[in-house]
Amino acid sequence: MKISLNWIKNYVDLSGISSDDITDKLTISGLEVEDIEDKAKLFDNFVVGYVKERKKHPNADKLSVCIVSTGEEDLNVVCGAPNVAAGQKIAFAKIGAVVPNGGFKITKAKLRGEVSMGMICSANELGISDDHSGIMVLDPSLPAGMPLAEALGLNDVVFELGITPNRPDALCHIGVARDLAAIFGRKMTLPEVDLKEIEEDINGAASIEVENTTGCPRYTAKVVKNVTVKESPEWLKQRLVAIGLRPINNIVDITNFILHEAGQPLHAFDLDMLKDHKIVVKNAMEGESFVTLDSKERKLSAADLMICDAAKPVAIAGVMGGENSEVTPETKNVLIESAYFNPSSIRKTAKRLILSTDASYRFERGTDPNNTLYAASRAAQLMAELGGGEVLKGTIDVYPQKIEPLKVNLRYARITTVMGFEIAEPDVKNILLGLGFTILSENKDSLDVEVPTYRPDIEREVDLIEEVARIYGYDKIPPVERIAIALEEKTDQSAYQDKLRETANSLGFYEMITNSLQPKEIASITGKTIDMLNPDSLDMASLRTSLLPGALIAVAKNLNVGQKDLMLFEVGHVFNKIAPEIKSFDDFSEENKIGFIITGKAQTTQWYEKERAFDIYDLKGLLSAFLDKIGLDNELKDLYTHVENKNFDYTFAKLYKDTVVGFGGAVSKDVLKKFDINQEVFAFEFNIEALKSIQLEPKRFKELLKYPKIVRDCAFILDRQITCEEVVNVIRKGSSALLKKVELFDIFESGNLGNNKKSMAFSLEYFDESRTLKDEEVEKDFNRAVETVKKELNAEFRGI
Amino acid sequence: MLQTISETNKNFSNEISQVSDLKQLENLRIKYLSRKGIIATLFEDLKTVPKEDKPAVGKSLNELRNSVQTQFDTLKEKLEALSGNNKQAVDFTLPGRGKSVGSKHILIQTLDEIKTIFRGLGFSIAEGPELESDYNNFSALNFAPDHPARDMQDTFFINKDYLLRTHTSPVQIRVMQNQQPPVRAIMPGKVYRNEAISARSYCLFHQVEGLCVDKGVTFAELKGTLVSFARQFYGSGFKYRFRPSFFPFTEPSAEMDITCFLCKGKGCRMCKQTGWLEILGCGMVDPNVFKNVGYDSEKYTGYAFGMGIERIAILKYDIPDIRLYFENDLRFLKQF
Repeated sequence: MKISLNWIKNYVDLSGISSDDITDKLTISGLEVEDIEDKAKLFDNFVVGYVKERKKHPNADKLSVCIVSTGEEDLNVVCGAPNVAAGQKIAFAKIGAVVPNGGFKITKAKLRGEVSMGMICSANELGISDDHSGIMVLDPSLPAGMPLAEALGLNDVVFELGITPNRPDALCHIGVARDLAAIFGRKMTLPEVDLKEIEEDINGAASIEVENTTGCPRYTAKVVKNVTVKESPEWLKQRLVAIGLRPINNIVDITNFILHEAGQPLHAFDLDMLKDHKIVVKNAMEGESFVTLDSKERKLSAADLMICDAAKPVAIAGVMGGENSEVTPETKNVLIESAYFNPSSIRKTAKRLILSTDASYRFERGTDPNNTLYAASRAAQLMAELGGGEVLKGTIDVYPQKIEPLKVNLRYARITTVMGFEIAEPDVKNILLGLGFTILSENKDSLDVEVPTYRPDIEREVDLIEEVARIYGYDKIPPVERIAIALEEKTDQSAYQDKLRETANSLGFYEMITNSLQPKEIASITGKTIDMLNPDSLDMASLRTSLLPGALIAVAKNLNVGQKDLMLFEVGHVFNKIAPEIKSFDDFSEENKIGFIITGKAQTTQWYEKERAFDIYDLKGLLSAFLDKIGLDNELKDLYTHVENKNFDYTFAKLYKDTVVGFGGAVSKDVLKKFDINQEVFAFEFNIEALKSIQLEPKRFKELLKYPKIVRDCAFILDRQITCEEVVNVIRKGSSALLKKVELFDIFESGNLGNNKKSMAFSLEYFDESRTLKDEEVEKDFNRAVETVKKELNAEFRGI
Repeated sequence: MLQTISETNKNFSNEISQVSDLKQLENLRIKYLSRKGIIATLFEDLKTVPKEDKPAVGKSLNELRNSVQTQFDTLKEKLEALSGNNKQAVDFTLPGRGKSVGSKHILIQTLDEIKTIFRGLGFSIAEGPELESDYNNFSALNFAPDHPARDMQDTFFINKDYLLRTHTSPVQIRVMQNQQPPVRAIMPGKVYRNEAISARSYCLFHQVEGLCVDKGVTFAELKGTLVSFARQFYGSGFKYRFRPSFFPFTEPSAEMDITCFLCKGKGCRMCKQTGWLEILGCGMVDPNVFKNVGYDSEKYTGYAFGMGIERIAILKYDIPDIRLYFENDLRFLKQF
């Protein structure tokens, strides 16, 4: 919200305080200055000039050569405007000035042989108005040399304030002035209303009926007759322009002015457009449509509060007026609406219609119900003054149940308890009084404070403590330098997943973080999606159901930029719908997962090694190493005959007891095509909670082997379809407990072996923890194993 | 005989001291240590030594052989190490055989730093779900229904009762519902805002919130704790300020600024000419929040604070576009 410093100064004396100081103090007391526009800076190097002499340019018919006095020196200036004349006071741009409209810099110039040491400006060039018919002629009483900003009253500083939603009172100049008065200990002066009303009574000219007093607790109206709708005077236009508003006409400008002065939104109706000169405040009919001031047709609901006349709606209460009753250049008689609407009702309507206006913005935050009369009267007075209108006698004020100010007790000791610092009693009282609070009674321990109704945010003691602390200054409360903390047990719910991250890193995986919101068609690939009711874009319509799609998006992104060899992982939540409708936390699942993805080359060609692409065995090996590091490799079983999954060409799962805790494989070509990926991708996903919940035996030291191991190798020619696991199982079956490890170390197929045959070579490791083995017993064991394989698998022993 | 042995020893020492390459050394070996060499010949001669002298001469001869062999071996090793052939076999300029380790995402690394600091300050770490109830995300945190405070956070709704959490504050509620004071915990996690994706905003970000509830916890303690955090995280070369703000779940509320580390407080594009960078929001837990979780606000006071990780990392590493975090371009990931 924009606040003009010149405007503020009408209500509080800020003499002797710099605008920098004001900026700082506003920010550190809670009205954050987000931007400052120092209008005077625009007019650096512009002064009031006096045209001492004007001669025709010797070489150009349309130019003149003037001697301009800047108060300090006389300068030769070439001017092209027809209306320049000796004796004028003019707006003069000195060398170095930057012309606001166009942004060009004034330099010393030679025009058709005549030197020009500056420029005489038009109002258009100064960016003040559209008038470019000639130079701007100023008030002759202005002294030459006076800064132009000062001469034109443009020496304003405009603050852009970020007002938090709890401070509707600060959404106007008087409100901000009140904070400044409290901060700097200065006095406030509010504009006084001195209405000259005519004999005619308002009750004969208009009537008000409020059907819904919950939605509209107060409706105040004044009537001004015989106004002339015309352009506003300069001072009023300047006020509005300063805060970025466009002046329209005196009546509309006055309502805008009061809104920004006192925070009370007003609406001016053309009284003669209101049927029976009547206002009825009631709810809309469901589905009714209404054309607002911006010429848009709005569909209403039965919950929307409307301002109607005897026959039809004329405004959406607190949000926007209607085209059918707006003030036009022909308007003669005006009804001023100054109401207090229920904040929540206005908010619902504004939200539903997606229509936020200066009025709705204030009503939904809470205006002052006890300020409507003041605002209406001040507006009426201004309409009389600026539009020549006559104010009818009296006011119609429908206010069936007065909203009384709250009384709140404030204990001094509680301030110290909350802030950890004692603020002296006189400071506490001065701050509250400065902000407009009333102290009803007091004793040595506490104050009874009446809260003005413009502060709907103050309801409790702690709210008053904040008021005191923020004006006192948070910076004056010293931070404690030591604390005592309870020595209860500390927990870290993120520790386990952090360990997983580090383990993944040690294997060469980089961590990624992908968007958990995806287009529905992407998220649906892997599960039952939970969808957003109101996504800003359909790209974030659904929650991810697995880490796979996000990982594939990341892979595609990397392939696009030439990064083709990837080892990535992600830790994150995935969401799946369980029940058709989400009514409780049981109707969906939210699981923390770790997902791995590998693609491209496991090894690029190097001087010591040939390149090799990732395959499923890389994935298997990496997962095995990962699980080993976290102590789970022996706890989990592989399951290769997992259910078919359309997203994978082949898959396997990791099982703990009978529960699947991880799942993945080679991503199917169809899925890859959807993501524009044309190389093989392997992916796997674990449920972190499932891994975490596996109870591991506490680690105990195991005696290091003292006796030698004996290793025997063997190779077999086998039918091609026999798996490694089958052979290992048979070897184990044919061996005693001395056999501790079986490892495949070679596998190949070749025509020499016969049709559909392959060779597999294994290394068998024997030892006993308690003695040295004899060669003969190992030989016996080994031979038995070989014989068993030959017999059971119809294998041919190829020796070693 | 003993004299011959002694002379041989002296001769050998002389000769080996002249040797400068392997070839000369080989010649020396042939001369002394080969089957027909000097030492072997001496052993032959031993047979002719009178029986009573044999032990002494034999011992001496053995010592000679050992000494010569040792000197020979030592020099051989040395010469081989220096020899041109071996040197050429190792080209230290060849690239090493590649090994690679990955890294955590920069946001997680930043989060780790923050967690470490707060662990040191005695905080536990708690987590919670991202798909939350409206009650936990708003109502329990003192957001009145239909209050414009709800507009401060554009919300993704699943339906009228469920939503994607807009801050990690609902974890505060979950922690307090399950535990009586004292509470001292930070709550990191993903949060969501229903905003268009651009260089400056994304539909999700990471947040860390903190909560401390006990008897006698004050705003001054909140300040002390956060100043200590900021000194550890940002170093000591900055000024700070706390300015009033508004969050429905804290009262009084504040935001903490530190001097801009790009311009040192002079004003620049990063701090929007103010000289200050906002780093976190904080405040004293609102009594209504205590009421909602069944804590007695006369007995206990508490503070809470929260900060966005993306923003912190943007400032710290000068990252120009928030989308870089979530595109996962390997070239980006590898930088950190």
